[in-house]
Amino acid sequence: MLNGISINYYILLSAVLFIIGAVGVMARRNSIIIFMCIELMLNAVNLMLVSFSTLHNDAKGQVFVFFIMAVAAAEVAVGLAILSMIYRNIKNIDTDLLSNLKN
Amino acid sequence: MGSTNTPTDYLPIVLMFIVALGFVVTTMVASHMLGPKRKTKIKLDSFECGIESHGNARLPFSIKYFLVAILFVLFDVEVIFMYPWAVNYKELGIVGVIEVFSFIALLLVGFYYMLAKKAVQWED
Amino acid sequence: MKGLLIVSGLGILAMMAEIFKFKKLLFPLVLLGILGAYVANFMEWNSGFSIAVFDNMIAFDKVALAFSGVILATAFFWFIMANDYFEDMPTVVDHFSLVLFALTGALMLTAFKNMTTLFLGIEIMSIPLYVLAASKKKDVKSNEAGFKYLIMGSFASGFLLFGIALVYGATGSFDLMEIRAKISEMGSGMPSFFYAGIIMMLIAMLFKVSAAPFHFWAPDVYQGSPTVITALMSTVVKTAAFAAILRLFMIAFGGVSESWSMVLASVIALSLVIANFSAAVQTNVKRTLAFSSISHAAFMLMVVLANLRSNATLDALLYYSLAYSIGSIAAFGIIYNVTKNGDETFDSFNGLGKRNPLMAACMVVAMLSLAGIPITAGFFAKYFVFTTMIGTGYKWLLILAILTSAVGVYYYFKVIIAMYFKQATTEEPVTIELSQKVVMILTTLFTLALGAVPGFVAEMFKF
Repeated sequence: MLNGISINYYILLSAVLFIIGAVGVMARRNSIIIFMCIELMLNAVNLMLVSFSTLHNDAKGQVFVFFIMAVAAAEVAVGLAILSMIYRNIKNIDTDLLSNLKN
Repeated sequence: MGSTNTPTDYLPIVLMFIVALGFVVTTMVASHMLGPKRKTKIKLDSFECGIESHGNARLPFSIKYFLVAILFVLFDVEVIFMYPWAVNYKELGIVGVIEVFSFIALLLVGFYYMLAKKAVQWED
Repeated sequence: MKGLLIVSGLGILAMMAEIFKFKKLLFPLVLLGILGAYVANFMEWNSGFSIAVFDNMIAFDKVALAFSGVILATAFFWFIMANDYFEDMPTVVDHFSLVLFALTGALMLTAFKNMTTLFLGIEIMSIPLYVLAASKKKDVKSNEAGFKYLIMGSFASGFLLFGIALVYGATGSFDLMEIRAKISEMGSGMPSFFYAGIIMMLIAMLFKVSAAPFHFWAPDVYQGSPTVITALMSTVVKTAAFAAILRLFMIAFGGVSESWSMVLASVIALSLVIANFSAAVQTNVKRTLAFSSISHAAFMLMVVLANLRSNATLDALLYYSLAYSIGSIAAFGIIYNVTKNGDETFDSFNGLGKRNPLMAACMVVAMLSLAGIPITAGFFAKYFVFTTMIGTGYKWLLILAILTSAVGVYYYFKVIIAMYFKQATTEEPVTIELSQKVVMILTTLFTLALGAVPGFVAEMFKF
């Protein structure tokens, strides 16, 4: 079903994409790029779900991807709204400037 | 499709990549080399429908654009839930119709809320 | 099931309240709706049979109904407590509908039977909370809290989804029972990425309940959010998340507990130590309670770790979440009233024993309960957790838990000492609304009653 390519390569590819996203979330300071990295993580999962779905010959995995896409859109909408609110208040979206909460 | 694929089966794809890349690079280099160059200040200016440009292009957008864009993304994505229904329209029958219409009804509630909150009203 | 439908319908109704101009009626309607959901829940419990709906994705069995009951009861008290904060806002209806949608997600989390509903429940609960955490538009601290909560929440969701995908790859199913069956069928023949998937799901859930070392966002978010929203986060959300963890790891992954129990045990040990020692050095009350909630999370995780396939597990977790939620609602309600002027340090409690004796007395009961001092509900909550742990091989955790609880007593008593033995700058009495008074007295009485007759709740599952 997977055109002769072993499932391990699909797992590896999505794991690599996922790790790039995760490292990006932790390392980058621009909020927009952090959101992009989160999207990358979710899309890595989508890739894996679709390939497993094909492997098992079972459509449930693909339906799950629909749910992830819809939820990711909602999450990003909320995230960008919060971000535009922050921009109005401090005129910047660098995460280093967001450190007002401490003991 | 069998599991007997060998690396040579991918050769056509590699060839296609090389040809595609080669075409782009060749045309770009050729036009750069062959075309005449007369650089004046006006020619190097950024061109916008004949109107003189001024200021930086990276200005913050009005928040209205943002709101419309976000709302578009939200309502746009919900359409994907109709694909599985459309594919299995006959098998799901009347139950499927009821389920999808209740889903659309809920979406419409959100849409009505958006209109009532004047989220897409441009004039103040 | 009816409870879930009522609450979600109520959320949509709340959204429409401003448009159809029944804003004034909204608060009583919401209270009535939550009561109605509670009654429906109770009747389902008594009728004693549950049907799985939506292709076996949600099933309100007895466990789900019991946790839904705790969540709805907490939400009822929360709405009375929080109405004072929302009342005068122009956006009160939006706040209420967001809270109701979060409640919908929380109820879904108590009853999921499928990874899809687990994921949707978590997101339906979390996304409104991101908005609520950031709801003070002009306050940079609130914005920051919402932003951090969002980033950490979606980061954790990413891990959860990756785990779900790996488990799906290994078992070919999202259904909890099917996964369980597959595990017992395959035995040790599972591919290694299956175990990686379980650990990633565990990490994601630990992120959500803010157990150390995944807790770093919690103090910031608790501090920056409006106090009433913090109260919601530390009660309803915690209960729902623990109901979800229990369900996931008992039903689906109970058969391979050796693969996750070591990770969980070390997380519990870390949480106990880090939370209690960090809480002791805080000066901000809300941050202290954030760390305190991390240590309570560790206690509740112990029940999952014990992995007893008996009713004692359910009883212990149910009793703990009820005692903790009610105690927290009382504590946050009082903190909300005391810190109205913006000062959130322990000094704001100075002399409260004279300025408002009733409020101070209620705070004492709440703090004693959270610290686990006898005759309050908190003591029996900890006691029941310990009884589930005694038969297991984790006695060292038990000793660690008792030792760190002793540290915990110190920071809870800091509040009590400030209230009764420190001089306030003003002698002016603190006045509070009648509704606040009612919640305070009710929750305090409830805490004492739970402690006086612990068997009332603790034996719910002995059928």
